[in-house]
Amino acid sequence: MLQQNPPLRRLLPIALGGLLVAVLVVASLAVLLYDPSGEAGNRLPENFQYDLSAFQKIDPALIRYRQAAEIPLELKQPRGIAAGREDQILVAGDRAVLIFDSHGKKISQIDLADEPRCLAVAGQDHAVPGRIYVGLKDRLAVFDAADAPPKTWETRGLKAFFTSVAPAEHDVFVADAGNKIVWRYDVQGKLLGRIGDPGPDGNIPPFIVPSPYFDVAVSPDGLLRAVNPGRFQIEAFTFDGFLEQTWGLPGLEISRFCGCCNPSALAVLPDGRIVTGEKGIARVKVYNAEGKFQCVVVGPDVLTPTPAAVAESRDEHRLLPVDLAADRQGRILVLDPAARRVRIFVEK
Amino acid sequence: MDNPPTTPNRRRFLATALRAAGALGLGGLTAGLAAKRGRTGEYVWQLDPQKCIACGNCATYCVLDESAVKCVHSFAMCGYCDLCTGYFPPEPIEQRTGAENQLCPTGAIQRAFIEDPYFEYRILRDRCIGCGKCVKGCSAFGNGSLYLQVQHDRCLNCNECAIAVACPSQAFRRVPADDPYLLKVRGKQA
Repeated sequence: MLQQNPPLRRLLPIALGGLLVAVLVVASLAVLLYDPSGEAGNRLPENFQYDLSAFQKIDPALIRYRQAAEIPLELKQPRGIAAGREDQILVAGDRAVLIFDSHGKKISQIDLADEPRCLAVAGQDHAVPGRIYVGLKDRLAVFDAADAPPKTWETRGLKAFFTSVAPAEHDVFVADAGNKIVWRYDVQGKLLGRIGDPGPDGNIPPFIVPSPYFDVAVSPDGLLRAVNPGRFQIEAFTFDGFLEQTWGLPGLEISRFCGCCNPSALAVLPDGRIVTGEKGIARVKVYNAEGKFQCVVVGPDVLTPTPAAVAESRDEHRLLPVDLAADRQGRILVLDPAARRVRIFVEK
Repeated sequence: MDNPPTTPNRRRFLATALRAAGALGLGGLTAGLAAKRGRTGEYVWQLDPQKCIACGNCATYCVLDESAVKCVHSFAMCGYCDLCTGYFPPEPIEQRTGAENQLCPTGAIQRAFIEDPYFEYRILRDRCIGCGKCVKGCSAFGNGSLYLQVQHDRCLNCNECAIAVACPSQAFRRVPADDPYLLKVRGKQA
């Protein structure tokens, strides 16, 4: 047949050659695309990727603070920060409280028997000015002076997990993330009450605390400000536990609180403005006392080592949230556990 | 001709049956113990959640069409949040269960109301492909209660696991077959 059809006989080598080239191309592609080591990535479509980088950008015009100084810390796990007498800066972590002067020079250290979780220093209006309150997991250690032996207040039980302490004139408030309650003590350590219960009419919403970040602060207006992180709100209570005010909305927009439970940190400026710190997309912002957003202090470009670090899934590498304090000068002290340093911010 | 007495036969039958049952039981026990001992000496692949970076390679490098790696949920660590960032994308259109509001591209997480404002999240194993997108969402803002594990009812226990080779954080390792999961425990984050 082939002899009777010369054109077909001429086409056969061409077809075989083409087939050989095709096989070589496919084989080359297979070799080039073969990636047993995973270097080419997961090759999943875009809708399988989790990317928060677009949400980590902040309009520079909203940032109205600048970093004036920073203090490197010799602590493996810094936990809490407070402003002390004469604008001293106190940092709790590991098993110690480090005390720095207002310029960041270390002046003393208090060694602790247990790991601290939170920290506060009583102001001049407190019954014992300058007293240092250190929150351990389930109890307070109280130091009337840096070199004085501690008095340890009664434990609140196995479930307790203290995350914040806030002294007022004659009261001391402690946020307990384990029991989802704020304890009220007198300055002698006697328990006076608890804030966060539904109240006689049942109209006070409970604190929703999904993770161990639950902060409180006392404002110059005489109200206790408490974060209700699961509701993305700041709530203001009288010292007797009556709810006076709530504000805050969930969302990634800069004026809102991001993630599933935020803000994670709270501080009050001397003029009553509220400073909030968020976990996840780490950003520190200022609101007025009624909850109107005012400006950004610092954002994830400074507080997050890399954009991808936000979604780090390894527990030991996950970013710990910032803690906040404000001193009498209105400086905002940001404890940055990822960088293990205190960042001091002043208004531009 | 007298009939033979029936009682001794019944006794013999019962004794034989008991002996046979005893022998069978002993044999079964021996075989079971032997099998267990054999299983004890075996090792299988598992993913260490403390090393996993949820890169997505588990979804595409497994030799199975549908990966043997799937998401699991530590209920003890979960915050039961209404606005769960493992379930919802960063900016959900609505906080509802519609597919357009779900972070998981395969709809493998089921959300159920418990009481205001708490919700429970369960992994639908037959839908999960182990991409780890929810793991990242949960880790970014939440407690890290969602994480990946090799499912041993699916894993072929290849001599050289293709995912282990492609794992950028060397999170895969051999673990004893009688203790084949590396589970997260509560309290790591605090």
